[in-house]
Amino acid sequence: MNYYALCGLKVASVLPLPDLVSWAGDGRQADLSIRLDEVPELENPHTSRPLLQIADDGTCRFEMKAVAAYRVDPEGREIVIAPHMPADAPDIRVFLFGTVFAIVCFRRGLLPLHASVVRIGDKAVAFSGVSGAGKSTLAAMFLKRGYSILADDVAVTEVRDGTVMVQPAFPRLKLWRDAMDGLAFETEGLERARAQLEKFHMPVEAFAGEPLPLASVYYLEEAVDPRHEEMRTLLGIDAFRYMKTAVYRSKLGYNLLGSGPLFAMAGRVVGGVRSVILRRIRTLARAEEIVDLIARHETAG
Amino acid sequence: MSGIYWIASYPKSGNTWVRMVLRSLEQGGAPVRFDDDNAPWWDPSHRSRIGGISSSRFFFEDVLDIESSDLTEDEIETLRSAAILAWAESAGKPPIVKTHDAWLSSRGTPLFPPESTKGAVVIVRDPRDVAVSFANHSGISIDAAIARMADPDCRLARTSKKMGSQLAQWLPTWSGHVAGWLDAPVRRLLMRYEDMKADTPGVMAKIAAFLEFDTTSETVNKAVDAARFDRLQAEEVRSGFRERPAVSSRFFRRGVAGGWRDTLSRQQAERIEADHGAMMRRLGYETTT
Repeated sequence: MNYYALCGLKVASVLPLPDLVSWAGDGRQADLSIRLDEVPELENPHTSRPLLQIADDGTCRFEMKAVAAYRVDPEGREIVIAPHMPADAPDIRVFLFGTVFAIVCFRRGLLPLHASVVRIGDKAVAFSGVSGAGKSTLAAMFLKRGYSILADDVAVTEVRDGTVMVQPAFPRLKLWRDAMDGLAFETEGLERARAQLEKFHMPVEAFAGEPLPLASVYYLEEAVDPRHEEMRTLLGIDAFRYMKTAVYRSKLGYNLLGSGPLFAMAGRVVGGVRSVILRRIRTLARAEEIVDLIARHETAG
Repeated sequence: MSGIYWIASYPKSGNTWVRMVLRSLEQGGAPVRFDDDNAPWWDPSHRSRIGGISSSRFFFEDVLDIESSDLTEDEIETLRSAAILAWAESAGKPPIVKTHDAWLSSRGTPLFPPESTKGAVVIVRDPRDVAVSFANHSGISIDAAIARMADPDCRLARTSKKMGSQLAQWLPTWSGHVAGWLDAPVRRLLMRYEDMKADTPGVMAKIAAFLEFDTTSETVNKAVDAARFDRLQAEEVRSGFRERPAVSSRFFRRGVAGGWRDTLSRQQAERIEADHGAMMRRLGYETTT
């Protein structure tokens, strides 16, 4: 059995998960266990979506053809994986840490954000946006400048006594080759996320392994015209509207929790952070400028 | 299942124009706004019947509960049909969705499951005008656009590195694209861009009737006026247009029929006619050779 830490959870897994850091905490029982077994289709599911089934009791089954089928129990305490390819293939972990982990989060009352998170001072700062908006690339730019990261792509938040905390995920960035080349990171010897994709798993040494209060969420948007570039703090309903788009697989959350509980969670998070829209022309050439801009904005409070 | 109505065309053939008229028409002839959608078009709370583009990355991800950036091109192509089918089953009043996809996927199977399709408005435009507009839209030379239109295995919005808002779309030749939709086993209304230009209210009334709009000729006239080309250009300046590619300065550029005559060289026009003569004649476009 392997023991790992993942977003504040103690994970016991028969499947080695080399992306995660080993559990260094207490000897308590695991919060989440991962094992390998058959995962047959659910009978009479309550909800049937193309890749996802939800049973009346809340059990979820997610299947990616030719990769694996996954089952999550109603409390989000156990994941069963039926691999359709060698169990150590990175592909299996891609969906495990994506949709499947999002199910676990929703089931445990944690709100997963589609965001990469870095540490600035003693606070966490999140970069959210759609696939391709540049979340991981921006986190990599911060890494290059000596900052550490808490999470990449999926960030787990939890509100404790009115403070929004981000839990450290794992010390790895998922980057496309062009971003790695542009930032002069070496791809040689790195694992590809999927054998057919030019997307790499880059281990990171500068990892902030403790939960930190979340100061700001930056929503990354692409400007097609320099006149439309802006950095602006969002307030009230605008901030809430953006936060709804930042929930990782929000449709999934909606199907598992219903809109009321889901938006109440999002509302608690948005109430405790600064929301900033950052619209810019995409270019790696301006990495320095953008890192400086955000770091200044954060230290100025 | 109510089924989806597709507005199908090769790129730069007037698809967006039709959609803008329909948006105004749906609101009794109201001005066209590009930025008035709050809910995504595939969401049950989206009030309008008129959706965005079938290749939307976010539609795909929402319906499938998955990140498209984790998928291979083959997986995406296979799953796109599943996403469309699942959405068609849940959609209410027959939605109207724009598409530049070919009827068949690159592996020869229908991308749009016939059982999820209620009908298709197929819009075609003189390929000589398409070439000029396509070159401008894609930031490539006219010769390169002509070559793309003759390439049986082209991809639209394909990108191995940067993720756009659209998924890659397989694009056969211009002739192949049109033929695919004309041969598709679905209820269909074929419209030419040139006829839309010549008699916009007449053609739009036919399209509206095909799409089951309950409307009057007075409202159609108002909608046609609201979606006049100069008004769409002004609205693009006001709010931007999200489908405009970064390489092109404007999405709504010229909007004329026959503009190729003062833009294409004789050799370029002849090349297009050599590539697509048979389909041009089938659609009633006069060739010079």
